[in-house]
Amino acid sequence: MSAAALPEPRSREQIAQERRQMFRRLAYYMRRSGRLYALGVATTLVYALLYVAFPYAMGRTTDAVIAYARLAVADAPAHTSAARGIAWMCAGLIGLALARGAVRYFSRVEIFNAAREIEYRIRNDLFAHLQRLPQSFYLKWRTGDLMSRCVNDLTAVRLMLGPGLLNLAQTPVLMAVAVGAMLYQNATLTGLMLLPYPLFLLIARGFGRRMHGANLAVQEGLADLSSHLQETFSGIAVVKAYAMEETSRRRFDVLAQQLYDRNVELARVGATMPALTGLLPLSGMAIVFIAGGLQIRAGEMTTGDFLFFMLMNYELGLPLFMLGWMFNLVQRGTASMTRIDEVLATPPSIADREGSAPIETLRGEIELRGLTFAYPGFEARASALRDVSLRIPAGAVVGIVGPVGAGKTALASLVPRLYELPDGMLFIDGVDVNRIPLATLRRAIAMVPQDPFLFSLSLADNVAYGLPETDMARVRDAAERAQLAKDVADLPYGYGTLVGERGVMLSGGQRQRAALARALALEPRILILDDTLSAVDAETEAAIQAGLRRAFEGRTVLVVASRVATVREADLIVVLDDGRIVERGTHEDLLARGGLYTRLAHDQEAEARRREALAEVEAEEAL
Amino acid sequence: MSAPAAGSAPQQLIEDEELGKAFDGRLLRRLWHWVAPYRRRALLSISLVAPAFALEVLGPKVLGAGADFWSGTPLAGWLAPPAGLDPIWWLGGLFVVISLGNLLLDYVQAILLAVTGQAAMRDMRRDVFAHIQKLHMGFFDGYPVGRLVTRATGDIEHVSEAFTAGLVLLVTDVLRMLGFAVVLFHTDAHLAGWTFLVIPPLAFAAFVFRWRVRGAFRRSRVLIARLNATLQESVSGMKVIQLFSREARNQREFEKLNAEHRDSWVDSIRYDSALFTVVELAAGVVFSIVIWKATGYGSAGVIVQFVRYMQRFFMPLRDLSAKYSVMQSAMASLERIFVLLDTQPAVRDAVAPASTPLGSDDSASLSASLAVEPAAARVARPAAGLGEVEFRDVWFAYRGEEWVLRGLSFRVAAGERAAFVGATGAGKTTVIKLLARLYEIQKGAILLDGVDIRMIPQHELRRRVAMVLQDVFLFSGTIADNLALGRADLTLPVLQRAAAAVEADRFIARLPRGYETELRERGANLSAGQRQLLSFARALAHGADVLVLDEATSSIDTETEATLQRGIHKLMEGKTALVIAHRLSTIEDVDRIYALHHGKLAESGTHAQLLAQGGLYARLYRLQYGGEAAPGAAAG
Repeated sequence: MSAAALPEPRSREQIAQERRQMFRRLAYYMRRSGRLYALGVATTLVYALLYVAFPYAMGRTTDAVIAYARLAVADAPAHTSAARGIAWMCAGLIGLALARGAVRYFSRVEIFNAAREIEYRIRNDLFAHLQRLPQSFYLKWRTGDLMSRCVNDLTAVRLMLGPGLLNLAQTPVLMAVAVGAMLYQNATLTGLMLLPYPLFLLIARGFGRRMHGANLAVQEGLADLSSHLQETFSGIAVVKAYAMEETSRRRFDVLAQQLYDRNVELARVGATMPALTGLLPLSGMAIVFIAGGLQIRAGEMTTGDFLFFMLMNYELGLPLFMLGWMFNLVQRGTASMTRIDEVLATPPSIADREGSAPIETLRGEIELRGLTFAYPGFEARASALRDVSLRIPAGAVVGIVGPVGAGKTALASLVPRLYELPDGMLFIDGVDVNRIPLATLRRAIAMVPQDPFLFSLSLADNVAYGLPETDMARVRDAAERAQLAKDVADLPYGYGTLVGERGVMLSGGQRQRAALARALALEPRILILDDTLSAVDAETEAAIQAGLRRAFEGRTVLVVASRVATVREADLIVVLDDGRIVERGTHEDLLARGGLYTRLAHDQEAEARRREALAEVEAEEAL
Repeated sequence: MSAPAAGSAPQQLIEDEELGKAFDGRLLRRLWHWVAPYRRRALLSISLVAPAFALEVLGPKVLGAGADFWSGTPLAGWLAPPAGLDPIWWLGGLFVVISLGNLLLDYVQAILLAVTGQAAMRDMRRDVFAHIQKLHMGFFDGYPVGRLVTRATGDIEHVSEAFTAGLVLLVTDVLRMLGFAVVLFHTDAHLAGWTFLVIPPLAFAAFVFRWRVRGAFRRSRVLIARLNATLQESVSGMKVIQLFSREARNQREFEKLNAEHRDSWVDSIRYDSALFTVVELAAGVVFSIVIWKATGYGSAGVIVQFVRYMQRFFMPLRDLSAKYSVMQSAMASLERIFVLLDTQPAVRDAVAPASTPLGSDDSASLSASLAVEPAAARVARPAAGLGEVEFRDVWFAYRGEEWVLRGLSFRVAAGERAAFVGATGAGKTTVIKLLARLYEIQKGAILLDGVDIRMIPQHELRRRVAMVLQDVFLFSGTIADNLALGRADLTLPVLQRAAAAVEADRFIARLPRGYETELRERGANLSAGQRQLLSFARALAHGADVLVLDEATSSIDTETEATLQRGIHKLMEGKTALVIAHRLSTIEDVDRIYALHHGKLAESGTHAQLLAQGGLYARLYRLQYGGEAAPGAAAG
């Protein structure tokens, strides 16, 4: 686990503060769906009334039926009128059932839709916020963690606001109305029947907690198992080469057994649910049956009332049990909302500042003044850049070389303001970069990052990623210049081929060239290439270089390279070592000096010659 | 019921499942193999259904008898109380006993079922894992890791659900509904006839709504999968999004998809709520009819019984089709698992494998395999093999007829150091992968100490051949774990000696917890050079007598470079070494150089011999290291 992602210990006050803030945000979202909720709660009330009215009416009708059976056989008019009365009562029953169903339908639909609406809004807001957060945020947070908040936690919040709220609102109202009606009808029996209920509420709550714990344990077991699988299959070559199969299998067996144990525990807890839910109506029924029977025999109660109590007994158990369950939903939901709030409360530190210079376009002059920078969260380690001063005139091509870890990428990333920087260190066209509107800045700069990330879109859409729309002429032109065009013909659907994670696998070199084309398509004032062509073979690189010379014309270009050959023709080459500029000059200057650059050049040229020689021999033999 | 597969891993969300049959006899028969060991429990669980049903029928009967008794009907048979006992207390006691018995049976049945399912699935999971591990390298080249993980996790979960919530319950639910229908007619045919006039249309409506919920639900799942995939991709590629100022447009697209997802739920919610309504309505209507039609002749007891039976009858109807879906996805998962299990490993141990005297620490298995060892193999083995390697007219292609090696032959004597040179694609890397038998050759033979490697058990072969690959793969765990790779006999002092020998000890000592330092995200916190050194220490610690090494091409700073060189020399000491050399010092140091060309041996000899010969190697060497030719000259 990343040390940076570990939660810092927080004081009680901070936690309380966080909770208040979370509830404010939750209230904000719920207010926006207030109308839906109000409707949902109102229908709930009506539902509760109908809910109780139906069993009551059934009891009364049953009494009427029993009375009918006791009528004297000869009394025909009495029979007819009683039968008519019963028929009407039955019609009324059907009407009640209809009304109850309809109201239930509306209250469910309203509240569930409100929860979905809120989920929709939170998800939109999360996405928008994530897009505004700076790269330093992404250094600290892992993708998996963020995804879990956007997926699992959002689900937990929705469950709290949908079924959770529905039951929380419904159950108390229902109970109140039901108990009231029952008390009115038969206070003694009601008191006896409700005797086991409080105990039950407690059991249900405890059970919900256990269920949640068992569920969590299974999820964790499954995650452990998955990561073992993932790792074994990713490193299968090592597993096989070192004959680790047996060890790995034993480890898997242990994990599988552990998962089994947890699953069985979950099943055990899960199986007690129907047993528990069954126990309450059982005890209630036994009480109603015995106490009610004694009362009927004593003539204090009718059979219809018995039926009413019997039905109430069976119908009240479930909502009550659900109430215990809902407490857990709410607990989880608020915990999840706090985790979501943590993301939403992170301020987007890179944003337009008040008093930004009203600049629309940039020429492309870059100046660094005593720039010192450490990656956020890694300040304890040595700074990535230390006291770097450099002026790059508009239209110049500057190469930046140096060993791994010298700070080349940091330098390249600061120009488009991917990381925060204090004022007074970096200027473009003489204006502090923090004061240039972000839109202007990013429109003027195109960067090809080291890792050529492509989206799951068509190749054309990827190349046109920075354009307002996919303009095929510009796509083709950019692909041509990045030497990508020749590869397109080999793709199954040409430019329309889906690439990225869910598309066809492009080679490392192809991805880099696609990323280059994407940057070139923008026709930027400032072009930044961050070791863009490391996975491209030498021949293709030479061809790209030729094409780039034209593309470089009239632009400021920063070429970060680990290969010296890549920057040979630059107007100025800056050699970085350990965060500092150690040498600067043209290729010839630097070679003459015999310093770090010369050493790098030497090593790499030997390597390059070897490759070229192999290629030549290969070509010769092929003839 | 309302939470979609939100908790599962994103890649699992992306893989859409195709649903087909809910029952497939062929698949179920094969599944029996894993269930069979637990069949007693399974059968016991199913046999409990009958007594549970009987008790379910008896409960309302007691209640009905009570209601009748109050109206004056005397109790008969087993319902009649023993002398001296109040009938009401007697009936109340009966009811409690029957209901408790019912709950207990249900509980036992559910647990038996779950335990059986989980045990069978644990075994199946283990078999799937062991089987995948046994498959040859070529298989892994074409099967994304994420899918393999899904086979042993998500797919198994689906099958396991079929146990606990599908198959058995589906069958017993249908039987129970039929049972209640019979009981209803038996209790009062007239009332039952009337109610069954109403039930079919209502049941049908309930079924239709449930079915619709299922369809709408599946649409929502596809949409949430897309939504989460988009989200994940955006988080991964956020730098590009921001650099190219795509935020606004992406936000619009995301919101559109998000709205589509929200709206897809409108249908689900509507059908789901309608289903609830219909079930409640049905109960209401049926009760009304029962009461109406009972007027004039039906007793209170019959009404009470009917009400309870009807409640029971409607219960399974609510989720019958949910169980059907569970079965469908279980069948689809089973199909995928079986296809995987049917994939045969292309590399297999010989039925009677030859064992070499060295490298095996398990004397029992050694003597056992010696006993069945074919005579020919025994004759072919030299008296004291120390790692002689021979390729005899080896032909190999990763795919079809695209030959990578075309009749390659060479022999590296025990203790000799050999370097392989040649252009990319000449087959160098393939040579070392084949020696460890990660792939199976098509023609010819590879011999280790005169024994065909196909006759040597794979684990033994690989213990004798230590591989150092270009890409160092580190597992999550400590540095020590990564050196020992599960071998218990490699104690910390052994590992420390190995690390010290290749000078890896210095950087390890600087790590916060030394050898016990946890590697973060598979060694992301180590440099390329450090990872290389770890792989050297790993190979050295495992003490094989043949070393195969693919030198890394990546350029590292000069100091680390020198350390790596010393490490390589240390590694080769006293071993037969096959090296794919990229560095001059390594090449000049070896006993023999093999120049490969298009999968064939172009020439071989010592550095001096080959230079004098003036062939391929001499040209390569001169071009690379000789003279001060201008960088571009070679291309001319």
